[in-house]
Amino acid sequence: MKRYAFFPGCLIPTRHPAMEFAIRHTLPKLGIEIVDLEGTSCCPDPIYFKSKDKMSWLAVAARNLTLAEEQGLDIFTNCSGCTATLSETYHLLEDMSLREKVNQRLKRIGREYKGTSKIRHIVTLLRDVAGYDAIRESVVRPLDGLKVAIHYGCHLLKPSRIMQVDDPNDPSVMERLVEALGAVPVRHRNWYLCCGKACQREDIPSNMMHDLLGAVQEEEADILGLICPTCFGQFDHGQMKVSKQFGEDFHTPPIYYFQLLAFAQGVPYDKLGLERQRFKPECLRQFETAAAAASSSETE
Amino acid sequence: MPDEPEKKDDVVKVNFDFRRELAEKIEGNLASFCYQCGACVGDCPATMYSDTFNPREIMLKVLYGLGDELLGEDSVMWECTNCYNCHERCPQEVKPVEVIISLKNMLADRGIYPDPVAKVIKTFEETGRTTPLSGAVDKQRERFGLPPLSVVPMDEISLLIEPAPPEGEDN
Ligand code: SF4
Ligand code: SF4
Repeated sequence: MKRYAFFPGCLIPTRHPAMEFAIRHTLPKLGIEIVDLEGTSCCPDPIYFKSKDKMSWLAVAARNLTLAEEQGLDIFTNCSGCTATLSETYHLLEDMSLREKVNQRLKRIGREYKGTSKIRHIVTLLRDVAGYDAIRESVVRPLDGLKVAIHYGCHLLKPSRIMQVDDPNDPSVMERLVEALGAVPVRHRNWYLCCGKACQREDIPSNMMHDLLGAVQEEEADILGLICPTCFGQFDHGQMKVSKQFGEDFHTPPIYYFQLLAFAQGVPYDKLGLERQRFKPECLRQFETAAAAASSSETE
Repeated sequence: MPDEPEKKDDVVKVNFDFRRELAEKIEGNLASFCYQCGACVGDCPATMYSDTFNPREIMLKVLYGLGDELLGEDSVMWECTNCYNCHERCPQEVKPVEVIISLKNMLADRGIYPDPVAKVIKTFEETGRTTPLSGAVDKQRERFGLPPLSVVPMDEISLLIEPAPPEGEDN
């Protein structure tokens, strides 16, 4: 087992505990031990609190990293926004004069940032630590022929010099992860577009989401695979809102990748909290009955 | 009717106070390296969907020191989606989005934020989280067999987000 400190952030543990459940269920099956950190706060978020005061934002982020440093562990994140904040903090604090300033603040609470814990987005744990083969082997319910549209979101990939996850112009990690479950990934034509959540002028994100949802729908995918909880909100609740607003019938159910992985690893559909979604990926149920039929014919 | 007197003051005067204040913010000085190539514009979703937003123009206004145009109540800065495409594309490593966030810091110093932004910031400053805990959250977590969320030591967070004293931190 490889051990990593878990940075859960705010959105997933409070709004989407089903996603956290899926993470805690799947990672140990792939040889990754999750170590919980006591006393983490919001990363803080790279949109709102960072807009108020970058210096305070950096100090709080550095504090979060010191918690992993104390454990002597690298830290992994399950939210692209947390990854953005923490990776950027790591990057900015390679500048020793800035580190000095931040450490002066940390001194107020008796802490010091040392830069000894690296930040990993959870998909890089799957790809680089577990590996696609191990994922494939962990699947008991292959999702043969399931068509999964992919949306990467922004912060997983960009800025690539800081995030260091994948090629932002032609990423592959999500496609490979979906393939490892036996499913068929498809890239929609607006895959590069942002979900718009952070924008504060209402018509802009609505129009963006309208174009995104149109592109996803054109692919006639069964579901939409996501890795960012903020994108998830836009594609679930937001999909309903935009459909109403534009008088259109968008209806591709989104799913956070780890819930899909947990399902393929055998967690029953009804244990995954998917009934809480506005758009439910009911199409997955066919694989439950298929797997059940296959195993009962084996035991005959 | 006499002709309008010829304007002598339509020459741009760089407001260096504004530029100095911006340069105090983390990565706020990066616009100085902008050579106005426009590479940040092509993939900017806010530019695509707005007729008022353009990161190259914002960098130009920064270079000219047009603080008054950038920092009003109706500032376009909040149209940015924080997608980081401009950061990815800029050949000069200007990181336009970071300059924009630094400008938002200046707006915040002047007490200007849209209500939804102010609300999230307040939640964070009071609870250390952007989505607060509640009985309903605990119940949902229990349902999935998840451990209770760890308590955020607010004494530490509050101390950290206090501004530095004007004479700097003492050692
Ligand atoms: S890409 Fe960079 S150098 Fe070019 S206009 Fe934008 S900020 Fe300036
Ligand atoms: S971060 Fe903002 S300015 Fe930069 S490309 Fe995205 S929307 Fe445009």
